[in-house]
Amino acid sequence: MFQNFRLAMAWLHTWFGLVLGFVLMAVFFFGALSVFDREIDRWAIPQSRFEPQPMPSFDQVLRPVFESMQPTRENVEAMRGRVNGPMPERFETVRRWGAYTTHRDPVLSIFAGYEVPNAKDPEESVFGSRTIDPRNGQALPDDRLKIGSQFFYPLHYSLNFHWKDIGYWIVGSAALVMLLALVSGVVMHRKIFRELFTFRPKKSTQRSALDLHNLTGVVALPFHFFFAFTGLVIFAGIYFPVTHTQLDPLHELHEKLDAEKTGLPHDRAGVAAPIASVDAMVAEAQRRWAAKGMAGEVGFLALQHVGDANGYVSVYRAGTDRIALTGEGIHFKASTGELLREDPPPTAVARLNEFLTGLHLQHFRHWLLRWLYVLGGLAGCVCIATGFLFFVEKRKRQHAKQGSQGARVVDALAVTTVTGMVVAALGVLIANRLLPDDLPARGSWEQYCFWGTWLLAMAHAFWRTAPVAEGRTAPAWREQCWAIAALAVTAVLLNWLTTGDHLLRTLAQGYWPVAGVDLFMLAGAAVAVLAARRLKRRAERAPAAAGGIAAKAAHA
Amino acid sequence: MRDALMLAAALAANVAGLGWLALAMDVHWQQVRGRAPQTRAMVRLLRVLGVLGLAGSLALCLAVDHASMASLVWVMALAAAALVVAFTLTWRARWLGVLVAWARTGG
Amino acid sequence: MATTLPVSRLHVALRIAAAVLGGYAFTWGFIALGVGLLFAAGMPFHDAEHLSSILAFLVYLAVFCWAFAARSLPRVWAVLAGGGALMAGAASLIQYAIV
Repeated sequence: MFQNFRLAMAWLHTWFGLVLGFVLMAVFFFGALSVFDREIDRWAIPQSRFEPQPMPSFDQVLRPVFESMQPTRENVEAMRGRVNGPMPERFETVRRWGAYTTHRDPVLSIFAGYEVPNAKDPEESVFGSRTIDPRNGQALPDDRLKIGSQFFYPLHYSLNFHWKDIGYWIVGSAALVMLLALVSGVVMHRKIFRELFTFRPKKSTQRSALDLHNLTGVVALPFHFFFAFTGLVIFAGIYFPVTHTQLDPLHELHEKLDAEKTGLPHDRAGVAAPIASVDAMVAEAQRRWAAKGMAGEVGFLALQHVGDANGYVSVYRAGTDRIALTGEGIHFKASTGELLREDPPPTAVARLNEFLTGLHLQHFRHWLLRWLYVLGGLAGCVCIATGFLFFVEKRKRQHAKQGSQGARVVDALAVTTVTGMVVAALGVLIANRLLPDDLPARGSWEQYCFWGTWLLAMAHAFWRTAPVAEGRTAPAWREQCWAIAALAVTAVLLNWLTTGDHLLRTLAQGYWPVAGVDLFMLAGAAVAVLAARRLKRRAERAPAAAGGIAAKAAHA
Repeated sequence: MRDALMLAAALAANVAGLGWLALAMDVHWQQVRGRAPQTRAMVRLLRVLGVLGLAGSLALCLAVDHASMASLVWVMALAAAALVVAFTLTWRARWLGVLVAWARTGG
Repeated sequence: MATTLPVSRLHVALRIAAAVLGGYAFTWGFIALGVGLLFAAGMPFHDAEHLSSILAFLVYLAVFCWAFAARSLPRVWAVLAGGGALMAGAASLIQYAIV
């Protein structure tokens, strides 16, 4: 299809990069925000603005909450199609209780998985979850949307589009195309070392956009490659469910052998049994870690086959000081507290997998590295956005002569997915502050505001990019930059007005989660204003330069 | 506090290292020093300094964190440093002159 | 601007399908065979899964590029779809032998 390899790569980079680039904008931007997802949660849910807490006592605090839980209504509804018969009113048989915390969590998320009677697949569970204050076991109301960890974060890996898991597939395709774009970009970029530090903003928009595209793509190339790659590895089970389909028998064989080897029963015994003191088991686990020279906090606590003689408790160490998410688990017999198994040190392959998934999921404690990740994510956004700008600049005059709307449509979509997306993110935070506190389904309303704002931004984008169809610059970009500046400042002001936590106070108290979000928004507002003014100056210069545009520097 | 200082030093070492590597290229040397091209000896010296700067940065990162974390910090710090060097060359090229203040014209 | 040799829209569509779908089939086969062979050779099951998946995405990337760079489209389809089927078939044979 092509004369040579380089041309093939250039074509792939341009067309696949363009189409999936719109998705990648969202993935990189919300991924960057997700680095501080729990901090954004604190901003959005003022009741949770206290210090991170360690895992609380299971016996005193967690057990009563677990015992009062049932699956959520949405999960029960979703399960209806997968059972042969009616769904019970109460789910009595608990397969698993779990609690997970990190050094950044004030509130604790806990979940319970229940057996589903008459399920088509007996291995399926239906889940319930709660968010509690670990200091006293009080539950937070269920409809408080954790805008960071339950909205922005899932948005970046699934577009919050759950019908038939299509969102996961779209993001997965985008990730594969990102890898492709990086490889093809390197092949296309002939002067990759020579131009490593080159950025010429005074030249034509086309040249300076390409310079910035190359710069942000190359300097963070390991980051971009590794994040796209590890993202795919994390969800490999979704994209290639080989061991749950074609090789399911092999998987079952392994589970049976594994249960025999580890002494951790795969199934219930069917005999009821009490639960001994889990706090004592946790203390024993911590003693063993300290004895191995790796004293630490509990990251993940789980009970399997709850209430059964075969039940066991698993205690995992929080991976705060390393890349792996959690340390090797220690397992105890639930009814007596006797030690069943200490997981052996991981194999080389397991360590590789832990490193790859851990570097993406970031449960470690390292503030500099987190901020560098945000920088990398934003660099990725700039790379994609400048890619769009280059595409449009290169073709708009030619399209104008041909009477084609192509460049205009791409520019409108670019505005939508670049500035429009930021406008939507600010919109949901503003809605979070403005909606009445006791509004039922408040979380759902916040989400509608997000999507509604984005749609408005898209409408504005399409309306105000008309000049592109005549080969000129669209005012949509700078108008949305001004909108971003105004909305960001508004959000910060609303935080002050509705919670009293203004910047001077949060900075004085050193409450960084909220101060950090406010400061980040103000910094964003400043950048948006600078950008708007630059764009205006460039637009005013453009007609004068129109005569001499030859745009030869089209490729690297 | 000690960790914070060492990480700051690691960042600075990366900026210096990449700055020296940039200055080993004619186009950037001329942006900074505005004079005739450099000798081969100068170019080689700058490259060696550059590599030493980057290696020093890696050593500092390893002194602060577990190896798996330190390697990530260093790679990301390289990206940040590269942006700093590129933007300095674009808008305040003369500032990088401090890295070669000791050198006479082009060596 | 990268331009193609004179090819029909159908050809372009079939190329893309070969890369996306053929590539997927090839990658699936690679994972299946990888898991089967490694587990049969004694590697712990989840290690076999993880290692095969990690390599698989690099394989998908490589065959995707190849699908566009290769001259002969029929050959691309034969290798990707055919190769994928063969590898998957071999994996099922291994499973049959073990389980």
